[in-house]
Amino acid sequence: MTSFLLRRLLAAVPTLVGITALAFAILNLLPDDPLIAWSPGGATASAEALARLRAELRVDHGPVERYLDWGLALTRGDLGTSLRDGRPVGRVLADALPWTVLLNLCALVMIYALAVPFGLLGASAPGSSLDRLGSRVLLAVYALPSFAAALLLQEFVAVRLGWLPLQGVVGRQAGSETAGLLSHALDLARHLVLPTLCLALAGWAFVARYSRAACRSVSGREFLAVARAKGLSRSRAYYHVAANAAVPLITLLAGIVPSLVGGSLIVEQAFSWPGLGRLYVASIEGRDYPVVLGLTLLGALLVLAGQLLADLLYLLVDPRLRDELLMDGLDA
Amino acid sequence: MPEGRPSSASTRAALALFGVVALVALLAPLIANDRPLLARSGGRLLAPALADLPVVGRLFDLPEARGVDWDQPPPGMRALWRAPVPWSYRGIRLDEALRPPGRHHLLGTDALGRDLLARLIHGTRPSLLVGLGAASLALLCGGILGALAGLGGRLADLLIVRLVEIAYCFSPYLLALALQAALGHAGVGPMIAGIALNRWTVVARLVRGEILRQRGGDLWASARASGASLPRLALRHLLPLLAGPLAVLAAFTVAQAIVLESGLAFLGFGVEPPLPSWGSILAESRATLEVAWWPVVFPTLALLLVLGSLCVAGEIGSGGRGRGQDTATF
Repeated sequence: MTSFLLRRLLAAVPTLVGITALAFAILNLLPDDPLIAWSPGGATASAEALARLRAELRVDHGPVERYLDWGLALTRGDLGTSLRDGRPVGRVLADALPWTVLLNLCALVMIYALAVPFGLLGASAPGSSLDRLGSRVLLAVYALPSFAAALLLQEFVAVRLGWLPLQGVVGRQAGSETAGLLSHALDLARHLVLPTLCLALAGWAFVARYSRAACRSVSGREFLAVARAKGLSRSRAYYHVAANAAVPLITLLAGIVPSLVGGSLIVEQAFSWPGLGRLYVASIEGRDYPVVLGLTLLGALLVLAGQLLADLLYLLVDPRLRDELLMDGLDA
Repeated sequence: MPEGRPSSASTRAALALFGVVALVALLAPLIANDRPLLARSGGRLLAPALADLPVVGRLFDLPEARGVDWDQPPPGMRALWRAPVPWSYRGIRLDEALRPPGRHHLLGTDALGRDLLARLIHGTRPSLLVGLGAASLALLCGGILGALAGLGGRLADLLIVRLVEIAYCFSPYLLALALQAALGHAGVGPMIAGIALNRWTVVARLVRGEILRQRGGDLWASARASGASLPRLALRHLLPLLAGPLAVLAAFTVAQAIVLESGLAFLGFGVEPPLPSWGSILAESRATLEVAWWPVVFPTLALLLVLGSLCVAGEIGSGGRGRGQDTATF
């Protein structure tokens, strides 16, 4: 198990290097004149400011040398400083990260919590009118982009019905000092509902689709028929179907993470959520290139991490694979 | 959706719908235009709306027809045949702002008094341009690199597989935005490049996988035995096998690119205003959320229709078999 982990991590190293190279190349080598592109004042910056930036960016050095310098600093955790307020980029990212992690974890939980029952439902009565209705709903949700969903929810749930806050993370009452911890948490939860729902929609349709297929393929298997014939209750049968269908569903994680990374960008902007996605948009608008570079890198790393995580979970849920690997380890 | 039997009727309906939208995109200036399709100036017949057509428009661009207010034309000029939607996508008329859907403005007007239907019709253009452009580029690059990986030597395979892994990690949104930031300008170019730079990986994986599967099989052996060169093998024997799965992938890639384009426009990084895009119409509607529902609902419906038809076409084309994470991640 450990050797598998090590091998898997080692195999990711070249990919990791490639990711840094591509991110660096896009943002450092593509601009015709990085000085103009990178200077907050654009072409109107003073000669003195340009000279300072020239030294800071080491434009006179070759691209390979600059990349190596940047990469070395990166290994020390130094991502440069933000052009906007001079804070270290790492600090800027760390401030926004918890908000995005919170939103994405909630979305991930919602995706699986809603998709698996949906799959079981589809598998329990294939071809029924309920099942057909389900597949229509799935298609509609699948074809609904997150920003359109965000606006529809804001228009109808937040504005017309007034059930939930329109945007942001802190409500008016909870913002005051007198409010207790519980009311703060409640307030945050109320602000979380709509963004989470939007972020989860696309992933939900995606996972639900596969969960239906997975549950259906399991529910036709012999062991289940035997178990039912021997008196296994319906609810226990559901459990066995879900446990077996979990394996393919977990590999989907590697496919969901990229869409969550992209989706955060949109949903955070739509709901004024102070996370990484909103920071990305603001940094591009403010030409804060070190932050843009850091975020581009972080986004790619998250996708890579999602793939590794999917591999690991795969091992955890499927004992057969674990045994196979152990055998491999003994052979080696 | 998955279990729906491959029904040719709904495929045809979906493709027809997409074709209609493509036609609307191409002919947008003839469908929604404040300039008439046919007008008379003195004794001459003019076709002012045709001047807005892509490529051929220059032939119809006459100086005397420019800047004419066709609602109150100057003496000697007369509009003979108005466009079906007689509004321009950019005519700002604050006295007409936020009219609900009605007789004059079928889908209402936006906060600047521009006709929503006209803007939706013109908004099909960036969507389809980015959708079809990015999908073609991704198919082309992914097809060539995937074939190289499958047919070339071990080194080529290793390099290309690594490249696929790396490029796949960059979400198309991040790529398109980073490219826009680096190039210093918005527009369809960076969007197409950004999504193609991510989506070619999926195509390459599919092509490489299929080639490796065929390698050593009967088809391969008999083609090689009859003297087929590798390029001939790839084009004549493997490409037809791949046509089905590639068509499905293309449908989903177009859909993803359309979502990306409108998403970027929603963030404010789309085509330059006043050119409309479904995403930018939605973004503008945020400001008037509390008074007007129509700028939210109609662009959403347009997106739903187009994306839904692409999904149906792709889904049914695949025979209802989901092929893992590769077909859809948007």
